[in-house]
Amino acid sequence: MLSYALIGGIMYGLYFGLVGMGLNLIFGVMRMINLAHGDFIMLGAFLTYWLYYLFGFNPLIVIPISIVVFLVFGFLMYYVFVPKLLHSKDPEMLSFILFFGVSQVIEAIIILFFGNNQISVPSTIFAKLFNVSTFTLFGNTFPISWLVVSVACIVAFVLIYVYFFYTKLGYATRAIMANRHEALVSGIDVNKVSAIAFGVGIAAASLAGVMGFFMIGAAFPSMGTDLTTISFTIIVLGALGNPLGTVIGGLIYGVAIMLMQTYFSSWTNVLPYLLLIFVILIKPEGLLGKAVRNV
Amino acid sequence: MSVLLNVTDLESGYGLVKVLVGVNLKIESGKSVVLLGVNGAGKTTLLKTIVGLIKATKGKIEFDSDDITKLKPNKRIEKGISYMSELAIFPNLTIEENLELGGYFKDKGENKKRMELMFNYFPDLRKFKNKMAGSLSGGQRKMLGVAKAFMSNPKIVIMDEPSSGLSPKFVKKVIEVVKSFHDEYKTTMFIAEQNVSFLDIAEEVYVLDMGKITFEGSVTDLKSNERLREAYFGVA
Ligand SMILES: Nc1ncnc2c1ncn2[C@@H]1O[C@H](COP(=O)(O)OP(=O)(O)OP(=O)(O)O)[C@@H](O)[C@H]1O
Ligand SMILES: [Mg+2]
Repeated sequence: MLSYALIGGIMYGLYFGLVGMGLNLIFGVMRMINLAHGDFIMLGAFLTYWLYYLFGFNPLIVIPISIVVFLVFGFLMYYVFVPKLLHSKDPEMLSFILFFGVSQVIEAIIILFFGNNQISVPSTIFAKLFNVSTFTLFGNTFPISWLVVSVACIVAFVLIYVYFFYTKLGYATRAIMANRHEALVSGIDVNKVSAIAFGVGIAAASLAGVMGFFMIGAAFPSMGTDLTTISFTIIVLGALGNPLGTVIGGLIYGVAIMLMQTYFSSWTNVLPYLLLIFVILIKPEGLLGKAVRNV
Repeated sequence: MSVLLNVTDLESGYGLVKVLVGVNLKIESGKSVVLLGVNGAGKTTLLKTIVGLIKATKGKIEFDSDDITKLKPNKRIEKGISYMSELAIFPNLTIEENLELGGYFKDKGENKKRMELMFNYFPDLRKFKNKMAGSLSGGQRKMLGVAKAFMSNPKIVIMDEPSSGLSPKFVKKVIEVVKSFHDEYKTTMFIAEQNVSFLDIAEEVYVLDMGKITFEGSVTDLKSNERLREAYFGVA
């Protein structure tokens, strides 16, 4: 029972690391909380659903499509909103209102076109694709889709790591995270680099949507709000503004969720809020974090 | 000699707070110029306006005969302006990455050569090149800042209080390093300071006081001006 909860929790945790990744990346670069984060996860799920029922695409094929679509979308969205925001008197407050608005609009549009319904793709998609429905680890049996999702998440993390630490774009992004003004006068085209990071953040969110059916079940238009809260918990658990800390936050969250489901299942839904309050009280900068605001 | 940086009637500030009022500067190519000013005189504001972090509300900034008043900061940097702020470096990047950033818009090969040059000059930086810059001591950070500022082989290096936070021993070192770079590459220098030790490398001095230039001339002229001698050297 315990080993099931722990191993399952780690796989869950990897997934939740992906859920929080985009929010933390955008926070790190912009110092803004994207309140529409969860809605992009929802959009990723709807795209997956659509491509499956219209063209029979396997979610694994949707991954690159979703990355490209949302990368471009996020890139453009940055240019529409952010430069104006940054010129305003109180960018941080205004960003809350703006992204809240974006979140409402996305939800409304989805309901308008597709109705307020739950959607899902068959949970056996990966089992059919790989011709095997479960796998066993230390005597515990899990659905094969968990393994597929875990591998996809690890690949995503490795790519983000490479982007951050092994490319010129990455160190420019980290420079902006440390100090936007300083980055500007180092010759970095701060808007372009931030727009790309914004796109990567939105694309990462959509990816969590593609994989969501296999980890958190059916998708529905209003799921975004809860997902934003959960993501926020995860990035506070990890380290605000440190995208790779999100993975740690996700793992803690995943294991905690699994332990709760195993031992105190009726409490599971309160867990994100309990964790959030707990961490903010004892270590507001995140369990791993250092102070993130350097002026 | 040709004028590299020409600032005319410059005004800027923060929202309703006007800091600079009608600042005029002419910095000649290859010269080493020190901008002297006490706390709050507006030195940082002036430098930030020149590099484009603060918008000029009036006046004109010309660099290398181009009007750059409206250019974005990164475009100004690409024209050959290098700026070393008081922070000087990115603590969350490695030393090598900081140096790479110094030559951000240059091509890779050129950057490698320049970096080699800097490492030969500052062997300590080579030793720690994969360490986070934040782990360096205050003095080493400034050295890295200087190295970073010269990475792009700029036409002008603008420095904001390179002495800040340093012990007198380190201030001397920074001055030495800046001098030898200036001598070797004939880079134009514009250094904002309140520390008069920097006058050792000044070929020309401007004094900024409450957002206005109140003196312009040589170090000898400055020292023969009683009011300024008293204000900056503390002797009548
Ligand atoms: N962000 C800001 N908002 C409003 N006023 C500011 C701001 N930054 C500086 N000032 C004001 O502008 C004036 C000039 O400040 P500035 O930082 O340019 O001086 P400085 O010569 O660089 O001083 P120091 O030696 O302390 O660095 C000061 O009166 C200061 O209070
Ligand atoms: Mg200053």
